[in-house]
Amino acid sequence: MSTLNYLPSFPLPPDPVLLFGLLLLSGFAGGEIAHRMLRLPRIVGYVSAGLALGVSGLGLLDYELARQAQVFVDIALGLILFELGRRLDFNWLRRDRWLAATSLAECALSFGCVYLALVYFDIAPLYAAVAAAIGVSTSPAVVMLVAQELRAEGQVTERALNLVAINSVVAFVLATMLLSWIHHEYRAGWAIMLSHPVYLLTGSLLLGFVASWAAILFGRWLGKREELHLVMLLGLIVLAVGAAAALKLSVLLALLAFGVIVKNMDRNHDLMQVDIGKVGQMFFIVLFVVTGATLQLGELMTGGAVALVLILARFVGKSIGVLGFAYFSGIRPGSGGLLAIALTPMSGFAIVMVYNATDLYPEFGAKLAAIVLSAVLILELIGPIAVQFALKKAGETAA
Amino acid sequence: MTEETLEFRTSAGFSMGVELELQILNSRDYNLARDAADLIGMLEKTLNSGAVKPEITESMIELNSSIHHEYGALAEELRRIRDVVAESAARMNLRIAGGGSHPFHKWSERRIYPTERFKRLLEVYGYLAKQFTIFGQHVHIGVPDGDEALYLTHILSRYVPHFIALSASSPFQQGEDTSYQSSRLNTVSAFPLSGQVPFVQSWGEFLDYFNRMRGFGVVESMKDFYWDIRPKPEYGTVEIRVFDTPLTVDRAALLAAYVQSLARYILTERPLAPSRDVYTLYNYNRFQACRYGMEGRLIDAYTQRHAAIKEDILDMLRVIAPHAAELGGGDALGQLAGEIEAGRTDAGWLREAYRTRGSLNDVARMQSERWMGSALANI
Repeated sequence: MSTLNYLPSFPLPPDPVLLFGLLLLSGFAGGEIAHRMLRLPRIVGYVSAGLALGVSGLGLLDYELARQAQVFVDIALGLILFELGRRLDFNWLRRDRWLAATSLAECALSFGCVYLALVYFDIAPLYAAVAAAIGVSTSPAVVMLVAQELRAEGQVTERALNLVAINSVVAFVLATMLLSWIHHEYRAGWAIMLSHPVYLLTGSLLLGFVASWAAILFGRWLGKREELHLVMLLGLIVLAVGAAAALKLSVLLALLAFGVIVKNMDRNHDLMQVDIGKVGQMFFIVLFVVTGATLQLGELMTGGAVALVLILARFVGKSIGVLGFAYFSGIRPGSGGLLAIALTPMSGFAIVMVYNATDLYPEFGAKLAAIVLSAVLILELIGPIAVQFALKKAGETAA
Repeated sequence: MTEETLEFRTSAGFSMGVELELQILNSRDYNLARDAADLIGMLEKTLNSGAVKPEITESMIELNSSIHHEYGALAEELRRIRDVVAESAARMNLRIAGGGSHPFHKWSERRIYPTERFKRLLEVYGYLAKQFTIFGQHVHIGVPDGDEALYLTHILSRYVPHFIALSASSPFQQGEDTSYQSSRLNTVSAFPLSGQVPFVQSWGEFLDYFNRMRGFGVVESMKDFYWDIRPKPEYGTVEIRVFDTPLTVDRAALLAAYVQSLARYILTERPLAPSRDVYTLYNYNRFQACRYGMEGRLIDAYTQRHAAIKEDILDMLRVIAPHAAELGGGDALGQLAGEIEAGRTDAGWLREAYRTRGSLNDVARMQSERWMGSALANI
């Protein structure tokens, strides 16, 4: 038999490249089925493919494999957050104060509503607060990719993306600050209580700043050649994602900061606008398949009621925040409601935060997961549909 | 079909009005945006009705001045409208730019503005309707009656190359340098009903022509003629449509002042009689102006003289100077002459912007910064 050892042994050992191909193709097939047969956003198909393959389905994609695929997920998130950061325009917020007010209001009200609702239903304040902080954020990945898929542009699309960028940052900062409370709860020393959030925030921002500075210098040196700028930025994005992970910083904040700082620091307009979408698409598909694979349908049984409370309270908070100022902001009547609907998705980021919490304090993480992950599961499927509905209704998709 | 009477309304002599078609850009890569409806909705709250209108695609907006008799008041109104429009656009994170063409947008990405008329144009003209995302300035001059309108139209046709060279600001199209100073007019020429008014002298004859065309079913109203210069009976004006939208409203006001003084000269001194030769040479002269701008060669149908368009304009500015002074536009014409002598044109400015920056995104950005001016910085 030893003469046949050039043949593979079965079962095949897990291989990242094989895994990537499998995830990509299954997600792609799911996306096309959702799009062609059900007229749903492709993302719903990617997530469903993940659900079918994952722990709640056939069990082919278990947690171990999902962890191996994390590198692709991180790259996908990095690309999306960088792009989102580049869209966050401080000048716009300065010129349209009502947009800034809308943003503050929807963050504050969604936090407040979720917190109060959960506390009312007997969830302990600490858990309610962390869940509320997570609820503040809208999924950047879902909103950006649905907008990209529909080739949407217009006031609802642009405003939604800016609100998403801000509420992602606010959610992250809130959650990081609550970390102190968690540390306190688990009797960690006061030094850890203070230094961990500070390390996360300043470290991630600093990483974003260094990457921006490098991008601008490179861009100036390269001259105005879009294809060169694309490769250079892709390289820096992947590098920054890797650095953030290695230094135990926040990929989310670092990459978002990279995008924001690069946009606002580039006074000479040395950097070109590049289209990351086509290159990123394969990572984006894998991101959603893996997300779907880790979701547990079983959670719905136990956490379904709490999830509904969370989702409703969150929607009420965001809607009041957006509708309260829609009239003053320069958009057509009716657009305010659509904008609120476009903020529905909540996803990947929440899962990452739950797992981060689990890594630190497993018991805390498990309790939090029970509250948050069912809501994520529901919104992971409804969210893309809500965004598609809002952007189509607003007439901002390509004809 | 409603019967159009085409009765020619009387206007106060040498009154003028300006329409400007402008580009709506996003502030990310400065490609054309699609926010016309939202922007118009916001502007209607602040500007008087009729001051802003939609155009054929959702990336365009049309601004209209009111009726003016003097250059100074027109320039002031245009600047005021500019400030309001710039401020509202900035609030929506949009940019507004002048110029006859967007340097790099792709026509296939354009969307027709959803009104019945524009949808019908898309049905009739197909891709030409989307390619019509080009930006012109129209100048109206008031005349007392239809006969005068036709006379003025025929004589102004001699000066069409002037108007083209003075306003040329569309050197780039679809991401390429076209080598033209005004590439916009090539797009207009593709339309079957573009061209010139028929060679008729009286309003009665013109009505015969119009009714014949309507009888054939070729047109329904005057709007269907895309002529370079056309009488506009319901306003009581002659409308000149060959101008590219200049990069600034100040330049737009200067161009209107030039037309106004020229019209006064033509209608009060009656220096020339309408001539078929003007139309024989028309396309040659028009091409020269589009391709070479100020350096183009113009053949004068009346004298057979060949001259650079630049020289021909400078000569004309001297001839009409007394009329400009009479109308309060002396300074304006002086300014225009100064620009010509210094060799400054909008097309030249755009090419220089591309040369220094190396990217058409930057050109579009600078175009919008130039048009919005201090309004962008101040809010």
